[in-house]
Amino acid sequence: MKQKMPKKKGEFAKLPTGDKALLTIGYILLGLFVVAIILPMVYIILASFIDPITLQNSGLTFDFSKWTTTAYERVLENAQIWVGFKNAIIYSVLFTIISVVVTLLAAYPMSRADFKGKGFFNTIFVITMFFGGGLIPTYLLINNLGMLDTIWAILIPGAFSVWNMIIARTYYMGIPRDLQEAAGIDGASEMVYFFKILLPVCTPIIATISMWQFVGMWNSYFDAMIYLNSASKQPLQLVLRSILIQNQPDPGMVSDMQSTAQRAQMAELLKYATIIISSLPLLIMYPFFQKYFDNGIMAGAVKG
Amino acid sequence: MAEVILKNIKKVYPFVSGEDKKKSKKKKADQPEKKKVNLQITDEGVVAVQEFSLDIKDKEFIVLVGPSGCGKSTTLRMVAGLEEISGGELIIDGKVMNDVAPKDRDIAMVFQNYALYPHMTVYDNMAFSLKLRHTPKDEIDRKVREAAEILDITQYLERKPKALSGGQRQRVAIGRAIVRAPKVMLMDEPLSNLDAKLRNEMRAEIIKLRQRIDTTFMYVTHDQTEAMTLGDRIVIMKDGYIQQIGTPQEVFNHPANLFVAGFIGMPVMNFFDAELEEKNGKYFVKLHDYEVELSADKEERLRKNNVKSQKITLGVRPDHTDVAEKGGVEGKVEVSEMMGSSVHLHVNADGKDVIIIVPTQDLKENFNIGQAVRFCFNGNVAHVFSKETDKNLEY
Repeated sequence: MKQKMPKKKGEFAKLPTGDKALLTIGYILLGLFVVAIILPMVYIILASFIDPITLQNSGLTFDFSKWTTTAYERVLENAQIWVGFKNAIIYSVLFTIISVVVTLLAAYPMSRADFKGKGFFNTIFVITMFFGGGLIPTYLLINNLGMLDTIWAILIPGAFSVWNMIIARTYYMGIPRDLQEAAGIDGASEMVYFFKILLPVCTPIIATISMWQFVGMWNSYFDAMIYLNSASKQPLQLVLRSILIQNQPDPGMVSDMQSTAQRAQMAELLKYATIIISSLPLLIMYPFFQKYFDNGIMAGAVKG
Repeated sequence: MAEVILKNIKKVYPFVSGEDKKKSKKKKADQPEKKKVNLQITDEGVVAVQEFSLDIKDKEFIVLVGPSGCGKSTTLRMVAGLEEISGGELIIDGKVMNDVAPKDRDIAMVFQNYALYPHMTVYDNMAFSLKLRHTPKDEIDRKVREAAEILDITQYLERKPKALSGGQRQRVAIGRAIVRAPKVMLMDEPLSNLDAKLRNEMRAEIIKLRQRIDTTFMYVTHDQTEAMTLGDRIVIMKDGYIQQIGTPQEVFNHPANLFVAGFIGMPVMNFFDAELEEKNGKYFVKLHDYEVELSADKEERLRKNNVKSQKITLGVRPDHTDVAEKGGVEGKVEVSEMMGSSVHLHVNADGKDVIIIVPTQDLKENFNIGQAVRFCFNGNVAHVFSKETDKNLEY
C-alpha cells in the first residue's frame, strides 16, 4: 500500500514509532547521499577558479583576489579542445540515434509472444552479455572491416546494447495489448502502431536509454584511443586527457625544481577545469530530459 | 449495417509446448469427465468455443451473455479478427472473413477498459481511424464533431484521456467506434468498469445510440440486466456452447434448460425436486402433497414431446411464487428483505432456500423470522426440467 508522506507539521508526530524511525533513517541517508554528491561538485567548481598555490597551502578561499581563470584560459585556448568538443557532440548524437533506433526496433519483435524464433534470438543476445569478443579480436575485426581511424569504429561496435534492449522490451510488454488491438481495428498496420502509438507512449524509456547512451559516449575515451589515430577525430575526453598529460611534471627533469612544482600545480588546476568543461554539457542537458521521465504517460489509456 | 453469420465456429487454444500437453493429458486421465474452469481440454488443446452457429440479421442488436470463461468474449474477438478461428465460417455482409485482417472487416470495437491512445486528445483518438483511411480533413472534422455531439463530449475534444472520468472515457471509446459508421459494432463488456449509477445511465445512452446509428451490434456482457434491456435477441453461453438463443421475453418465459433458467432472472428461479405425472392426457406437477395442473399450452407441448411421468426439477420464479393462506407447500421464513416496492422472503422448505416476492401493497402482515408460511404457484408459470438432461421438457 502506498504510504502518504507527512507534509504538515503535526502529521509526523501522529505516525507510529516504527514509521517515525524508518522515516528519520530515510531522511538521514538521503541527506548524506545528497551531501556526498553536492560537496565534491562544489569543491571542484571552486577549486577550478582558485590559484593552485593558495589551494595547496590554505585550501578553499573566498578571497576573490586569489581567484583565477587561468585554468579555463589554458584549456580553452587549446585549439584541439574545440575539435574535441565538436567530435564528442557528433559522436554522442549519432551514437545515441543509431543505438536507440537499433535497440527499439530489436526490442519490438522480442516483446511479441507470437514472434517465431524469439527463444533463439533471446539466447543469442544473452550469450553476448556474458561472453565478449575480447580487445584484440575486436581490434582485428574493426581493422579487417576497414573501420580503423573512421567514425564507424566508434559508432557501430557498441550501438546495440542487449541490456537496453531487454529494458525496452520489458517496457513494451507493459503496454496493454488492448491498445494494439484497438489500433489494429482502427486500421493501423504494425508499422503505424509502432511509430504512432507505441513509441509516443514509450517516451520515458526512450529518454532513459538515450541519456544513458549519450552520457556513455560523451564520457568514453578508450575506444577512441584504440581505434582513432588522427588528432582531428579525437573526442573531447581524449583531448582533455592529452592536455592533462602534457601538463604533468616530467620525472626526468628534476634539475628545474621550480618549473616542476609549477607544472604540478597547473596540472592540479587543469584537472578541475577539465572536469567542469567535460561535465557542463551533460549538466545542462539533464533538466531538458527531466520532462520525459513522466510516469503518468499511460494514464487514461485503460482502466487502471 | 450488415448481416453476420457464424457457422459452426470453434476456438481451440493449442498447447504451448509438449510438456503442457502431457500435463493436461495426465489431468484428463485422472478426471476423464471433468472440465477445467469452464473449458474443455482435448488433444487439440483447450477448447473455448464449440459449435457456435448464429445468424445475426442486419441492424440487429445481439447480446452474448454468460458467466466468466463461457467463451462469449472469445467469440466476439473472433468476429473482430483479434483471435484466429479454429473451425467454422464467419460471414460478414456476404463475405467469408475468417482470414481477413481486423482493419479490413469494416467493424469497430469498444473495449472493456477503453483502450484509448493516452498521448492523443479526444479529437485525435476519434479521428485516428479516419486519418488512416485518408478521409479528407473537413470530413473527419464533421464526423468527429457529429459523434461527439451524439455522445455529449464536444466540450472534451481537446482534452487527453487522463483528464476525463471513467464514464467520459467510455463515451470517447464509443465515439471512436461510431465515427467510422462500421458495418458491425462490437462491444466487449463496455459498461463493466463503471459504477452502478453510471452503468444505468450509459445503458440508456446505448439504447438511444442504437436508434441513432442504426447498425448491427454484437454486445458481450455478463450482466443479465444489460442483456435483457439492450438485446433484440440474447445468446446465452456456458462452457463454450450456446445454451439458448431468443428474445429477452423468450429466454425469460421459456428457458431451454436449467442453466438458462437459473442464469436469467433476478432473484434466481426457485428449483424443487418434484414429480411430473401424466393422467389421462393431463399433466400435473407434484411437490410433496401439493399438486398443480399445468396450463393447457404447456400440456400441449409436453404431449407433443411425448413426455411420460417422471421425476423432474421444477422451476418457479420468485415473482411467480405466492404466499398461500392454505394448501401449497409449507416452509419457515429465514430472511425477510424489504426492497421498497416488494419484500423478498427467503423461506426454508425441505432444506431448500425458496425466494418469494411479495409486493408491499399486498402485504397484510410483517413476516417474522421462523414464522411458518405456505406458498403456491400456478400451472402456467411452472417450468419442468428433465432430471437426466437438465433440458426443459417442453422444448
